[in-house]
Amino acid sequence: MRIIVCAKHVVDSTEIRWDDERGEVILRNLPTKISDYDRNALEAAVVLKETGEFVDLDVLMVGGEAAVKSLKEAVAMGADKGYLIEDGWLDAFDPLLTARVLAKAVEKLGDADVVMCGLVSEDGYNGLTPAALAELLQVPYVAPVVGIKIDDDGVEAVLDQGDTLTTVRAPLPCVIGVDSSMNVPRLPTVLQTMKVKSDRIGRLSLGDLDLSAESLGEIASGVELRACTSSVVERQGVVLDGSPEEAAAALVAKLREAAVL
Amino acid sequence: MDARVIVSAADRVGLRHVAEVARGIAGQGSVEALVLTGGGQVLAPAAASLGDVALDVGGLADTVIACEVGEGVLSGELWSAALVAATAEGERAADAVFLCDAPAAREATARTALRLNAACASMCDAVSRSEDGGLVAQRSVYGGVANAEFALTKSPAVCLLTAAPCEAPPGPAVPVVELRLPEGSGTSVRVVSQDAVEKTVDLAGARIVVSVGRGFARAEDIAIVEPLVAALGAELGCSRPIAEDFKWLPKERLVGLTGSTISADLYLALGISGQVQHLTGIKGVRVVAAVNNDAKAPITRNADFVIQNDLYKVVPALVDALGG
Repeated sequence: MRIIVCAKHVVDSTEIRWDDERGEVILRNLPTKISDYDRNALEAAVVLKETGEFVDLDVLMVGGEAAVKSLKEAVAMGADKGYLIEDGWLDAFDPLLTARVLAKAVEKLGDADVVMCGLVSEDGYNGLTPAALAELLQVPYVAPVVGIKIDDDGVEAVLDQGDTLTTVRAPLPCVIGVDSSMNVPRLPTVLQTMKVKSDRIGRLSLGDLDLSAESLGEIASGVELRACTSSVVERQGVVLDGSPEEAAAALVAKLREAAVL
Repeated sequence: MDARVIVSAADRVGLRHVAEVARGIAGQGSVEALVLTGGGQVLAPAAASLGDVALDVGGLADTVIACEVGEGVLSGELWSAALVAATAEGERAADAVFLCDAPAAREATARTALRLNAACASMCDAVSRSEDGGLVAQRSVYGGVANAEFALTKSPAVCLLTAAPCEAPPGPAVPVVELRLPEGSGTSVRVVSQDAVEKTVDLAGARIVVSVGRGFARAEDIAIVEPLVAALGAELGCSRPIAEDFKWLPKERLVGLTGSTISADLYLALGISGQVQHLTGIKGVRVVAAVNNDAKAPITRNADFVIQNDLYKVVPALVDALGG
């Protein structure tokens, strides 16, 4: 059986700030990593590999050279190979375009029985890529998954839809969207990641996928950024000093004054 | 500019919200609410009867389009088949499709946008008309650091909107028309069993929320806030590490981008650093108070009142102060 995990290499979302002077979001020179939600998908796939027989596990990731580090980390978690898809065309707010490129890459690698993704990415937070991938591959989509069993007949998954837990069966191949509550991803050590040999990392150019920057422009989703503004909500920022008892009494007084108690 | 807009949602509040947004851009055109029925039930939005939905969207939508999907469980694949069919019905093809965020709605959005080769925007807080008559989607980006505006440059446009309440009064009931699912529509995902999960937490509707973060050293320490939660009549919430990384509290208590957005009168953040993804969930709160002994934590700049002290001492002191 062959599992392909699509994981995203992103800027650490907790480090992103708004620059008041320049009036823009600062994204450069920030630490990068595997999107947290994709770590859950990787973990779920690695568990399937560990508990199943003859499972091949490959990881697809869009990015530049910096993403090689993330791919090695994914291999250190337990994947067999990582593939870097040349970036430069990526638009965090066009998840369907991302899915179009990933679908080509999944077809190029071939014979995937299961494609696994996190439900959202830390940067775009669109939540559409996995389902779009299923549509493009013309296979069923199963999400948000909190439990998986795979047998010869297909996949049996438990979906957490908020007010219901639904157990479904779907034939293979299929795309699975892993819910972050499903597991706690393992963290490989820096040494384990460093020891991953370069021959475990492959590369796919747009040309390898029969795509080009021009052809991607033609199939983009028509969503163009026009303006961006800070979303800071102004708060009073009153610090209440004193002992815990004094500060607590002062806070209760302030809250009664504001009529919120 | 007049437009024909199809709206759909997994729940009744969501349907009213997307219908209201659609009304804002439809002009003299039409707003049509697609409702899925199956297995003798109203599936999307989940409702007791079609009549309830027809009343819900009164004054917002012009018609309810009822489509029987033949399954007793909501499927994103069949939902998309119904949406695509609905856009092609009538005298003119639809100009836009609006859905309200929910797990199956994400699948329906992605599949519908691809099948229609549409412009597509996700997680929109609003969709409006620009001066040149085009559609513009507003959404929060990068975890809530900024608000961005996107022009939708293809037609039709398929937009997934974030959930929000709708203030418009319901009724009068709108007419219901039927739509047949196209031949050959189906899904290979088969439901084996379905269990309702009892919901005991209502963060979105709570007036006061007391929320815990990484300032708590151990899972069992969270018990010290119970008397405070009881004294305030509050709902207990938490930050992402507590729900998603440590899993000390269930995800239904998570406040922020990946959990609930709250609009309480008072939000009391205990040992929460205040990452932007968390702050995104409390933008609509009237008064934010924080207890955090780290003066550098972002929450101190994003709260109205801050106690920079040991929360293990402040929490019992707050219970005493409330009792006095």
